[in-house]
Amino acid sequence: MYWSGLSAAANAAAAYQTGQTGYPVGHTPTGTYATQRAAGSTYDTSYQTAAAAATHSTAAATYPSAAASTTYDYGYGRTTQTAAAAAAAAYDSSKTYYAQPSSATAYTAADTHYQNVLSTDKAAYTNASAYTTTSRQTTPVVTPKTSYAGAYPGAAAATATYNTSAYAAQTTTGNKAATLYVPQASQPAAAAAAAVKTTANTWQTFKKAGPVQGKTQKPKAPPKPQQLHYCDVCKISCAGPQTYREHLEGQKHKKKEAAAKAGPAPSRHGASLRCELCDVTCTGADAYAAHIRGAKHQKVVKLHQKLGKPIPSTDPVIVGGTTKTSTASSGSSTGAKTTTAGGATANAGVPATDGKKEDIKEELLDLKEKDVEPVGQEYIEEIKNEEGKVVSFNCKLCECRFNDPNAKEMHMKGRRHRLQYKKKVNPELVVEVKPSLRQRKLQEEKLRRQQPGLHQLREEMWRRREEERLLEEEERWYWEERRRYEEECEYLDWCRRYPRGPPGPPPMMPPGMPRPPFMPGMPPMMPIRRPDSSDDRHVLAKHAEIYPKEEELGAIQKIVSNTEKSLKMVSDYLAEVDAPTRVKKEEESKEDDKKEGEKKDDGPPRMLKGVMRVGILAKGLLLRGDTSVQLVVLCGDKPTRTLLDRVADNLPKQLAVVAPEDKYEIQRVVEEAALVVQNVGSDQRISVNVTLTSPIMREQLLHEGDSQVTAAKDPPDVLDKQKCLDALAALRHAKWFQARANGLQSCVMVIRILRDLCQRVPTWAPLNNWAMELMCEKVIASAGQHLSPGDALRRVFEALASGLLLPGSPGLLDPCEKDPVDAASSLTAQEREDITASAQHALRLIAFRQIHKVLGMDPIPPPKFQRGGRFTRKRRRDNSSGEGNDSEGELEGGDGKKDKKEDEELKMDMDKETK
Amino acid sequence: MVMTRGRGRGMRGGMMRPMGPGGPHFVPKMKQFVPRLPFDMVLCESAFPKVKPAPDESAFTQALLKRNADLSPTPAEQAAVLNLVTKIQGVMDNLIVDPGNFDACQIEEVRQVGSYKKGTMMTGHNVADIVVILKTLPTKEAVEALGKKVCDDLRTQEPHEVLVLTMLPDDRGFEISNSEATVRVLVTTIHQNLRKLDPELHLDQKILQSHLAAIRHSRWFEENAHHSTIKVLIRLLRDLRTRFEGFDPLSPWMLDLLAHYAIMNNPSRQALPINSAFRRCLQLLAAGLFLPGSAGIFSLGISDPCEGGNIRVHTAMTLEQQDLVCLTAQTLLRVLSHGGYKQILGLEGNSSIASEMSVWDGVVVSALEKAYEKPPERPLQDDDANDMDADDDPMETADN
Repeated sequence: MYWSGLSAAANAAAAYQTGQTGYPVGHTPTGTYATQRAAGSTYDTSYQTAAAAATHSTAAATYPSAAASTTYDYGYGRTTQTAAAAAAAAYDSSKTYYAQPSSATAYTAADTHYQNVLSTDKAAYTNASAYTTTSRQTTPVVTPKTSYAGAYPGAAAATATYNTSAYAAQTTTGNKAATLYVPQASQPAAAAAAAVKTTANTWQTFKKAGPVQGKTQKPKAPPKPQQLHYCDVCKISCAGPQTYREHLEGQKHKKKEAAAKAGPAPSRHGASLRCELCDVTCTGADAYAAHIRGAKHQKVVKLHQKLGKPIPSTDPVIVGGTTKTSTASSGSSTGAKTTTAGGATANAGVPATDGKKEDIKEELLDLKEKDVEPVGQEYIEEIKNEEGKVVSFNCKLCECRFNDPNAKEMHMKGRRHRLQYKKKVNPELVVEVKPSLRQRKLQEEKLRRQQPGLHQLREEMWRRREEERLLEEEERWYWEERRRYEEECEYLDWCRRYPRGPPGPPPMMPPGMPRPPFMPGMPPMMPIRRPDSSDDRHVLAKHAEIYPKEEELGAIQKIVSNTEKSLKMVSDYLAEVDAPTRVKKEEESKEDDKKEGEKKDDGPPRMLKGVMRVGILAKGLLLRGDTSVQLVVLCGDKPTRTLLDRVADNLPKQLAVVAPEDKYEIQRVVEEAALVVQNVGSDQRISVNVTLTSPIMREQLLHEGDSQVTAAKDPPDVLDKQKCLDALAALRHAKWFQARANGLQSCVMVIRILRDLCQRVPTWAPLNNWAMELMCEKVIASAGQHLSPGDALRRVFEALASGLLLPGSPGLLDPCEKDPVDAASSLTAQEREDITASAQHALRLIAFRQIHKVLGMDPIPPPKFQRGGRFTRKRRRDNSSGEGNDSEGELEGGDGKKDKKEDEELKMDMDKETK
Repeated sequence: MVMTRGRGRGMRGGMMRPMGPGGPHFVPKMKQFVPRLPFDMVLCESAFPKVKPAPDESAFTQALLKRNADLSPTPAEQAAVLNLVTKIQGVMDNLIVDPGNFDACQIEEVRQVGSYKKGTMMTGHNVADIVVILKTLPTKEAVEALGKKVCDDLRTQEPHEVLVLTMLPDDRGFEISNSEATVRVLVTTIHQNLRKLDPELHLDQKILQSHLAAIRHSRWFEENAHHSTIKVLIRLLRDLRTRFEGFDPLSPWMLDLLAHYAIMNNPSRQALPINSAFRRCLQLLAAGLFLPGSAGIFSLGISDPCEGGNIRVHTAMTLEQQDLVCLTAQTLLRVLSHGGYKQILGLEGNSSIASEMSVWDGVVVSALEKAYEKPPERPLQDDDANDMDADDDPMETADN
């Protein structure tokens, strides 16, 4: 990578002068690597050409890696480099970076002064350190915000120098533990309380001197009456020389010593506060303040006082995430020292201090982030005791309790609390991000890179890049391998599943190719209309129940056809008998009659012109147990009683001819304008009503206004007019039915069901067949779509429930009458009301799965095959529970368990629907 | 009828999974539930030509209009509620623009919803609804703090006014009322926050969603149902709901949709007159528009954004409630057809007509009984019984 970066840079630099072509050249070698880097390297190129400085090439080369890491790093890295390289553009960008967070991070109005310091430039910064030195004494005060703010800069500014000096002191002691016999009174208490910079300096010098005297001094200066065995490394005192020696031999001490030799350990966090006295590192100002107030710290202070050791300021020492401060050149550290010590007098214009300042600034930034506004006060519950005194606090967000108000305060500023607040209350709250492990490593690495010379740096870079490249390649191989393996597996799996299927796709499909659109043996995906819902099944079952049996139909068919044949013969006979009164044509007609019936007669018409089936027989609405069917005989003239008698007289003879083995009984029902043929001797009596009528009856009715004369012509014994008209209407209804209802899906079935209902339920009895048929047809046809039997039946009930029969509805206009007539006009208001109420209840029964109650039958359990047999069922459950890898054995054995699972599923469904 | 689980099963067994060893010709049952609209006389008028001319209904229409006039709020009431709403809206707007030191929550938006916004308020119920969308997560404490803050701001604005702050149950919001009017402030949050809710700490998600839905509803209403006949009908239906117990399960939103449907959904797409529309509402309910297995109101061009357009509005009711609503409508429809409109409108008599037998012009109108039965307990062991129940279970209304 680095290679290509360089070469690309070189190429580009060269090409830039010649023309644009160089640019793509620069691109191609880098293109083999990650795009991010490619971009980085191209940036380098442009950068380099722009800067056109040979010395900058290394700095620029490191740049992509910096860019790849966090911007923070980038800024830092750049600024330290600027001291040497001073790339103007980069420096600017780093500056803007600093400016942004300082204004962006939440800061209260209380420390405006501090903010000003941050956002303004170098001059103001020195002011800040001056200010802080003065305010240092107040640092131990923790609670008010302002004091925090004041403490921070002070700490930050001071520690920069303080730390280094301390470090120096440590190194000079050579990490060697020394027992010090110090006069207790030698150190003034005032110095310990207010650790001003100068005292720190003196302490430093004192310390330096200390180890030189070391143990050798021990016998030399014993005038102090009290001996204290103090371990400087571990900062503990021992009760006596024995224990002290033991301590020195101990592992703990050895460890500490080793750690001290290695130099200050980098803290985990970006920056932390350290109490030098106790060697305690705190992650935040609050924690630090708590420590300072704590008993442990006080104890140490006391001890030190006793020892007469200098007590450093309680100002915290800022420990960067790395050894930043210590790596700063001594020159810069002295510079900083002077600024802090000298206060406002110091001039910040010295370029040498720049790097150092940036460091300090950055630390301030880090710490400032710690000094956040407490949030979520509302969620801290105060728990009071009986006397109403607040005894503890409960944070509802984080579910924790504290007894100390300070702890509460700290908690509210804490990261955990803030995260909870962000999560639970305000998603927009800014919570600082902990640098990830990788980021930290990068940062460390960069810092390390700053130390060695440029050459070494480049060397290291190379190595790293190479490593990365290898790693990447390795990874690629791994995935490639894995993909191949998976593909193979898939293919095998596929083959296993479809052993008879056509040869599948090659095992090594090109990776980009999509899978075949469908698998062989896949069922068609077309949604199939469910053949039957529960309602449908009930309706079908009920229909099968009420539909007449084969033998019933046979018997009816037999008697009807016999009657029809006989009537034909009667017609012939009557025509023959009447013949003498007619003229010659008679013989002709006699022969023709047998073939083509009565149509040939054009002279004086035959008396019986034809016989037609009407009613349930014609419509196919016969139900089981129906024993009465209707035939209509159309007469040439108005039927009279005489005619009826003649037919009735002759019919038995003809019946005997047609069906000699059967016995029939014939009754005359004059008032009905009919005669009834019944079979005798058979186990079921079937009666055929033969009604005599004539179209003339209606014609006369229709033309009543025109010809009064016709009425006068009526023979005296003409049959009942209304009956004759009814028979004619029945004829029309049959025709209508065949034209409209027969072709309509589900309609005939629903009408049969309703016929059964009308017969079964007294409430429905007043609803005549014709009205019912008409209504069903209209309601079902108006749906505008095919309805399954169940849906069709429900729709009929819906129509009735919505008041189709109630007064105020449009009514059922009879299409078979000339005048507008309601087919259901025979119903009284009460009957309409009752039928409607019954339909309304029936509708709800259907809706709530009790259609069997409406139909008067037992509920039908859903057929077994619906489940697709046991096997598929198991499979389904298998799927639904999401446990594709269930072993078969478990499936076999765990049926009961599965059932329970299904039950739960079911319950959930119910819950869902009833929510 | 609905076979929800069946369909789901079909999908699982057949669609999702490539064929198993069951054989290539095994075709799983595709149970498909197609909800169907119930019979609607208005939509199939052409199939039912009138036998006789329609009866004169001017008296009925007059009664409807009179009832509406009685139900509409008086100008004084309107002014009072408008006044309070304006003030509270002002306070909230200020909080959005300049929260000051109020940091318990951040307000994203404030919207008026409900009957006040829709113009379907009823007299004697001088309550306006406002939905506050919080940018922050809606904790109970935030709701409380907001209520206090708003109330305090109002009090500082007008110190002499007596304001009462009441928290609503379930922390869904708070109510601020003065002597004449009440404003209900309902709290919700932005959509993005809905996923981050913690039931322990925040308001119930269902409540929050219902408040968001209220906003959408009022927007839909503004766009689609501004016809004044619809508003009149809504008021009349709400009145029915308050007077007849059986209609209690109907939510205001259902009534809105029903009124809109009854008036606008006809072949001519012109608003039906109020008398026909009122009757049609009862007819539709009686025909089972809101029963299981009915398409109900959802596939009718009304996109209900909160429900994704796929949930039938009546499925929010339990089966028992659906039964109750339907039977009440059925009884009232029969009463209406026998000339009992005055009793239905509450101009005469009482609400017993829905539950007791009544006589109209010699015709006995009887009340109906419930049809819904609780499904029987399932025996666990019996596989067959299980089968049956599984398929029978169902009056499922939820097909989605």
